[in-house]
Amino acid sequence: MHNDFDVVIIGSGAGGAPVAHTLAQAGKAVLVIEKGPLFRPQYQSPNGLSDFKRDELFATGPEKRIRVPGVSNWGESYYSSHVEPDLNDEPHIYQGEDGRDRATIEGYTAQVVGGGTQLYGGVSLRYCPIDFCLGSFNAERTDLQDDPAGDIRREARDWPITYADLEPYYGRAERLIGINGTRSGQAKPFGGDYYQRPLPPNAISDYVKTGLDALGLASYRTPLAVITEDHAPSGRCVPAESEVAKSGFINRYGDPLGLKSNTWVSLLTPVSRLENFALWTNCVVTHLGCAPGGRIDRLFYRDPSGAARRLDLKPGAVVVVACSAIESVRLLALSALEGAEFDRRIHHNDLLGAYFLTHCLGGAEAIMHRRCDKSRSLDSDWATDACQSEAFLHQTGLWAGGVIYNNTSDQALPLSLARTHGSQDLDTIWRAFEGDTRLLGEPLIDFLDQSFGTLLSVCFMANQVPLKSNRIALHPSARDKWNRPAAYIIKQWHPHDIAAMNLLAEQCARILRFGADPVHGRHPIEGQGGVHLAPNARARIANHILGGARFGADPADSVLDPTCRAWQFDNLYVTDGSFMPTSGGANPTLTIQANAFRIADHLLARI
Amino acid sequence: MSIVVLPQDDEYVLNYCARYLTRENQEIRHNYGQFEEQDALGSICESWRFPSVDSYWDGKDPKTSYFYNRVTFVYKHSGSSPPGEVRLIGNFACLYESFLLQPVRFLGEPTVYHALTLVLPKGKVYVYKFIVDGRVCLDAINPQRVVLDNGQPWSRLFTDLCPELLSFEPAEVELLARLTGSVLPLHRAERRCFIDRYYEQIDRESRKVEYAHTQRLDRSVGVVNFIDKLLARQERHHLIAYRLCLPIIDKLLRAAHPDSEPAQLPEVVFDELCRAMARGRVPGWDYTAYNSPAYFLQLLRRHTFTGAFSHPKYGGNVGAAGWAYLEERYRNPEGDTLFAWRRAIEYPLGSSTVYRG
Ligand SMILES: Cc1cc2nc3c(=O)[nH]c(=O)nc-3n(C[C@H](O)[C@H](O)[C@H](O)COP(=O)(O)OP(=O)(O)OC[C@H]3O[C@@H](n4cnc5c(N)ncnc54)[C@H](O)[C@@H]3O)c2cc1C
Repeated sequence: MHNDFDVVIIGSGAGGAPVAHTLAQAGKAVLVIEKGPLFRPQYQSPNGLSDFKRDELFATGPEKRIRVPGVSNWGESYYSSHVEPDLNDEPHIYQGEDGRDRATIEGYTAQVVGGGTQLYGGVSLRYCPIDFCLGSFNAERTDLQDDPAGDIRREARDWPITYADLEPYYGRAERLIGINGTRSGQAKPFGGDYYQRPLPPNAISDYVKTGLDALGLASYRTPLAVITEDHAPSGRCVPAESEVAKSGFINRYGDPLGLKSNTWVSLLTPVSRLENFALWTNCVVTHLGCAPGGRIDRLFYRDPSGAARRLDLKPGAVVVVACSAIESVRLLALSALEGAEFDRRIHHNDLLGAYFLTHCLGGAEAIMHRRCDKSRSLDSDWATDACQSEAFLHQTGLWAGGVIYNNTSDQALPLSLARTHGSQDLDTIWRAFEGDTRLLGEPLIDFLDQSFGTLLSVCFMANQVPLKSNRIALHPSARDKWNRPAAYIIKQWHPHDIAAMNLLAEQCARILRFGADPVHGRHPIEGQGGVHLAPNARARIANHILGGARFGADPADSVLDPTCRAWQFDNLYVTDGSFMPTSGGANPTLTIQANAFRIADHLLARI
Repeated sequence: MSIVVLPQDDEYVLNYCARYLTRENQEIRHNYGQFEEQDALGSICESWRFPSVDSYWDGKDPKTSYFYNRVTFVYKHSGSSPPGEVRLIGNFACLYESFLLQPVRFLGEPTVYHALTLVLPKGKVYVYKFIVDGRVCLDAINPQRVVLDNGQPWSRLFTDLCPELLSFEPAEVELLARLTGSVLPLHRAERRCFIDRYYEQIDRESRKVEYAHTQRLDRSVGVVNFIDKLLARQERHHLIAYRLCLPIIDKLLRAAHPDSEPAQLPEVVFDELCRAMARGRVPGWDYTAYNSPAYFLQLLRRHTFTGAFSHPKYGGNVGAAGWAYLEERYRNPEGDTLFAWRRAIEYPLGSSTVYRG
């Protein structure tokens, strides 16, 4: 039964859905197996309601306590929503600075059809051409700062494809997914303009535009995966009141209206009624089985009752793993534990899990003079590529650059204002607010008066130096709810990363200072810095989960070949963010999607 | 009135169940103090979510729909063969009327789940049981249980906007209202006029349905009712902190002010008490009974703030008074609000007719 699929795709997010869409449209028999539920937007739902809500409490969840045996943050609070995994059931463990292990919610995107694209802010940037060739760009440099051991020149890699190779697929992704934005001002060549019209920016973003202009930095409207016009490829329509998408319930919220272009509404819905397409939800793939010769011929999964099941694959079928980088690496490592043939092949070198990457990220925040209604916002309004140019990199001694953009929807709503007050991420949510007991009585009212609708942040997203020691492994003792080893995140920042974060945070602060005070640039900054300053900095990955199965042209130096096929396997592909050898100077999802479209074309030629 | 049974939606049920109810590892990882030590409920993730209490849409009228919940009861069997018949009884209907749960299927095959979805009014507390092949049993997933006057245990659920007290006694409510009023004094100074005026404006009928009880006890924005519900369900593990600390506070206030009822003491007393709790040094505090007043205050602050500004369905932010306060307070020089929450939130609470809640 069920063994007649041409391709089985594990995971329905940014890396999986483009492959499913392309192959299903081409008439191939496609099965997507997704661990999470299918939460439909209102317009598709049989009961007229969505399982995503404009509800701050619902989206963060109540307080729970870590009860994973053996971790040093046992007993601490955590929060997870209905589409984030429960930390006690499915912990990710990281090694802290003190060498002790802690459970973390970091490193998960979302477990639902659409994966992280259901919750994402939708910032959908292309990488710059230079991001694809950082190995050669840095090979001969002598002006790199904070790299005494020459790690950058040793470890930076060119991608086995160039920007030009990916450009048509960026275009296809922009067109099929539904993205609004502007090309002008971007430092990347475009083969066509597929953007929808951006909505008018939030008034608070005027400060950012003013700052960017005062500093002479070319800017553009941040491309966002939110439709603003009817979108023919997915059949979605925009309600008469086109600003309805602006709600403040954006980043970390699923969109009940389906205007956010997650991969379910944009890519999977259009193929969902085809007879050659099947989507099995609430099924978690536990491991893959490999026949002699390197063909994946079976996979094992748990069905929605939790029963262990096996799916045999027909000869010629292809398996695409797209569980997001940490979980994909884990799935491959767990498959190796289950079968000697799989183990021998995936571990033909020692690179599975190695060169795990995230982004250097951080920024600056200020309280602006004028209060604005931030609840009428999308995730971002303005961006600049000014810190990605070769000239900037030479001038600053950085090995790679990063995009800068403003966050508009952050802290737009009352609960998000408090729970993210002084906190860095999901692991520290509410913690700083709870600890800041000065905010009591009238001072708590004053806090609202001072911060509600006045806080503005500008952030950067830059390449992280790839290090072999930064890796995903299986934890030796922590187990998930299926009694399988949990993922172990071992990661730290290179001194160059820290220098880059400090430098880029200062750029963000300058934009704010000049935004409010264009002549003198003296507006006070509330806080600035990089993620390396966070209490759990070593775990901090901002949902940008990349690397760990990098692609390359040399089998000895990569896990995947240039078509994202695992070396030594005939039919095993990995198309989520794990393929990246460097993390790019921008949010990664559009690049994951574009690359997945590229792989889909390759698969069409072979199936 | 007859109860509306909605057609079974297997996808909806599986979406709701699989994540929380499937596992092999039976370690007690989900007990943060809300259960007895070895209670098997401690191995279920977020068991409080069952039965699911969700929003409802009748396909026509948002105003009618708003006052109902869609409640889905789930029975999960663990034996080797599925039960022949699972039925539900409860005080939402006559107790001799039972409702059949349907087997839930995946890819045409049966699963371990049976389910039933009813439309029930908001603002209510119900008790129910399952009858499995003729045997009466409690809901093994839902931790909410009550023993009725006749000594019989029942499973309990409450729907959105529930005003009935489930965690606190009325005296505790009064004390807590004073404490939360000091933590977030929305009902003070010039703000008081706004909140009072706002309540006057709220449509009288809806006030009767939704808010009567809450408002009487909890003069500000319903924070205490919110906490009462949170402790009855999602954060039941914190009930013990309130159980211990409220009597300590009551006692120390009585000792310091022997001539007054604690809940009648002036605002400054509560303000100073909260500041002392924040510092962790409270004269008269019984540290052997509960050793960290600072921790309790931190908890109280998070709960208070959340109650004031989360969606009213959770029992606080009565009639969206917390949001309305922000809407009113933050305006541009032209008088336009700088927190236009209504446009995003479902009608009739907000004004969005596109988003249905
Ligand atoms: C709050 C938030 C905001 C973000 N904002 C942005 C942004 O503005 N811009 C941007 O570019 N990126 C953003 N991201 C990151 C973005 O979501 C990810 O980059 C992207 O989704 C990664 O794609 P992926 O294919 O690697 O994984 P995902 O999209 O997460 O897809 C992986 C899927 O695999 C499923 N899965 C995992 N394991 C299994 C298994 N064993 N069996 C079956 N299924 C499995 C998961 O349930 C999931 O659905 C954000 C993420 C979050 C959470």
